[in-house]
Amino acid sequence: MRDAKQMLKYILQRLLLMIFTFLVIFIICFILIRLLPFDQATGPGKDPATFYRMQVAMGRMYEVVNADGVKEYLKTPILVQLWNFFKNLFAPPEGVSRWGYSWQIEWMMDPMQLLGRQLPPTVLINIYSMVIATPIGIALGIFMALKKNKWEDNVLSVVIMLLISVPSFVYAFLLQYFFAFKWDLLPDIRATFEGNWFSGEMIASMVLPVLAMSFGTIAGFARYTRAELTEVLTSDFMLLARTKGLSRAQATVRHAFRNSLVPIFPMILGQIISVLSGSVVIEQIFAVNGVGSLFLQSIQRRDYDVFQFVGMFYVLIGLVGSLVVDISYGIVDPRIRMGGKK
Amino acid sequence: MAELENKIVLEDASQEDYERVNSLTKDKFDFVPHEGNIHDQAFETKPVSYLHDCFNRFCKSKSAIVGAVIIVLVVLYAIIAPFACPTGDTSKYPDGFRDSYFSYATPYNAMFKGTGFWDGTDTLTINEAKYYEYTHSDSNHDRLVKINGTRKIGSVINYDAVIDTYAIGNKIITLSKEDLDILIQHEKDAGVYQTATSIMKPIVDYESYLTEYRSYLEENQSSIGITPAIIDGIISQMRTDYQNNADISYALKADKDRNKDKLVPNIPTGEDEAKRIYKTYEDGSLVYYQEIDGGQYQVRVDYFDYFTYLNGFEPYFIFGTNASGQDIFVRLALGARFSLILGVGISIINFIIGLIWGAISGYYGGTTDLIMERITDIISNIPSLVVLTICSIQFTSNPQFTNTLGSSGTLILALLIAFVYSGWVGVASTTRMQFYRFKGQEYVLASRTLGAKDRRLIFKHILPNAIGTLITSSVLMIPSIIFSESSLSYLGIINFSTSSISSIGTLLNEGQAAGLQNYPYVILFPSLVITLLMISFNLFGNGLRDAFNTSLKGSED
Repeated sequence: MRDAKQMLKYILQRLLLMIFTFLVIFIICFILIRLLPFDQATGPGKDPATFYRMQVAMGRMYEVVNADGVKEYLKTPILVQLWNFFKNLFAPPEGVSRWGYSWQIEWMMDPMQLLGRQLPPTVLINIYSMVIATPIGIALGIFMALKKNKWEDNVLSVVIMLLISVPSFVYAFLLQYFFAFKWDLLPDIRATFEGNWFSGEMIASMVLPVLAMSFGTIAGFARYTRAELTEVLTSDFMLLARTKGLSRAQATVRHAFRNSLVPIFPMILGQIISVLSGSVVIEQIFAVNGVGSLFLQSIQRRDYDVFQFVGMFYVLIGLVGSLVVDISYGIVDPRIRMGGKK
Repeated sequence: MAELENKIVLEDASQEDYERVNSLTKDKFDFVPHEGNIHDQAFETKPVSYLHDCFNRFCKSKSAIVGAVIIVLVVLYAIIAPFACPTGDTSKYPDGFRDSYFSYATPYNAMFKGTGFWDGTDTLTINEAKYYEYTHSDSNHDRLVKINGTRKIGSVINYDAVIDTYAIGNKIITLSKEDLDILIQHEKDAGVYQTATSIMKPIVDYESYLTEYRSYLEENQSSIGITPAIIDGIISQMRTDYQNNADISYALKADKDRNKDKLVPNIPTGEDEAKRIYKTYEDGSLVYYQEIDGGQYQVRVDYFDYFTYLNGFEPYFIFGTNASGQDIFVRLALGARFSLILGVGISIINFIIGLIWGAISGYYGGTTDLIMERITDIISNIPSLVVLTICSIQFTSNPQFTNTLGSSGTLILALLIAFVYSGWVGVASTTRMQFYRFKGQEYVLASRTLGAKDRRLIFKHILPNAIGTLITSSVLMIPSIIFSESSLSYLGIINFSTSSISSIGTLLNEGQAAGLQNYPYVILFPSLVITLLMISFNLFGNGLRDAFNTSLKGSED
């Protein structure tokens, strides 16, 4: 690393900027969410007294006794709520959760725990999909670049154009209809039992969601790799490599591949980070109880603490992902100077 | 000229060259006339403007043309289908056509009649009772098309049957006196009044059958092994069934020998027995209508024929119907229309906002750019799902909004905000890049030196160069908006069910509710239309990008 110090400074700068951006987003979202109409949860086992006690303990409401001598609970001003939230975050009072509580999905459940419970299915499906899709996509892209403008390339280009254009839920419907209902080969939805994540039944039930998630990734990687590799293959240093006597295969493997993988590597990194965030649509279709479905549930059932927590989780993943991708560009490609003015 | 007459000696010249040069003689040349001015000749070729050049390049790309044609076809479908189809007639059906009796009718295309595919049939497994019902109904249309096979599990027989989902049999309806008279007159005119193929069917006399059946059960109580309480239960259950099902004329005679305990009724044979099923007047003629409270008449009609009589068209639906019996063909056209209008409208708004933002940020650069970039950074990182949820909950629970805009207006406003608030960021960053690229170029500098103001530089010199890229990115935004909107409605986050509008996503949502296993066609057609839209817009957008790229000029010739 030539200028490790400058690099470190750049990373630090970006990191601080990211934290600042996240804070601003968080405050905006916090205020907007607190402005929403807010009902006390009703249902069996949900008693209002606990609800109000916790709201008071978290500093979101305060108690007043009205003229008739009846206790009433009123909302604290939003900025005070925000202040109380940060206070709770760093020094939570005894028996009060840092992140608030889920009142609708799971009574009195910490959103953090809820998210932790829903993470494994999402992560597993995403990892399977990534492990399958990334190599296939890159391999296809390389194949297409080597066969550029021949019939193989033309056919594959059309297929990839279709894969990119067709919405993911349409694949999901097709897969589910044919494999699960028509031919009855695979389970239509993810197995619901909470057992061994690597049992045969569980893996079989994950095949369809994984496939549905993979097509888009395959197409994306293939298209990108093809574009990068064709560009590298026509560049001057390839001509030089051939001129100095390397065979086409040698030149391609030693010079072209390595260089074309430079911009693809950050893409893979971004993919790895987004493993944590689930696709809401695919999880809904295949009944995967993952992060995406938790997000959807929190919206449908208006469980604001969970909604805020999962929403911010998505924001954080997005921010960290783009930060890592940006920084990794500089690491893998020494031509890109970090934080260079011009 | 004198030199030409000498032999010219050239190195490396062949014999032919020598001959050609030496064949030039003096008489082949004229002097340019000295008198008068010499003007440039006008171009004989036509000038090619920028847009014309782009258009030519666009036309060369076959895939872009295919995309454009598909877009035009979908747009035409969205515009024309509701007018061309009788079910789309808004003057006749102000809230949209629906007939719950025809719920989940499968797609029917007259061209495929009898093929088993797209002909309004469905393959079901039915039990013996249903089999009797279908085979011995007195409806004018056969529900049962054919039996593919029988399956016997123990003593239970099931049939793999192909049924006609449009032959829904008879229904009991209530008519006013005037309507009844019109119906009777219509039947008399058609010459089918009180015949076997009439719309009105004789009223079924199930009460006297039930009495008969009860006495039979009571007589044979001990041999069948039932108690009076059970008999009461059976009879009241049968009464409910008969009241709900107008198609049970087959059922009204108990077989005294077979099926004693199974209560599977037998089929009436011969005219005399048929007469016993139907209600008759004292003179033995059949009762076709009976008066109920309030001057209303109860009539049993063959519903398919009654529908045709009432609406003036046969109830056949090319894309089938959904759960509430709405025509998917028309609803999909309306949904596609809404999705397209939304996509185009939001793209235009985003284009304008993004253009202004990006132009300022890119042109001025420096601190302005830095601050504006931070703002877009923050905006683009808030997931639009969060914004949409907040907007839709906030607006729909606010009576001020719902009263002034109506529930559909409120939802559209929420959608608009959710898509516009971060949608323009993409256009803005493209514009910014283009401005960075062009603002330092010599022609801009030249114009600035001549005293051009910022506004002139932006709008006259930089923007026209960037417009191609920007238009392309806006066109490509349309499918992404349609896609996001449909996935949001599919998930039920945007719920149009309380309003009169529908989008492609609403139809997808209905398809999901119907179930992929039993009613795949409900989700098939919306998926097909959205897939076509996505593919065609992508092809069209890519073609547009190449068309606007002037550096490709002549590269393919």
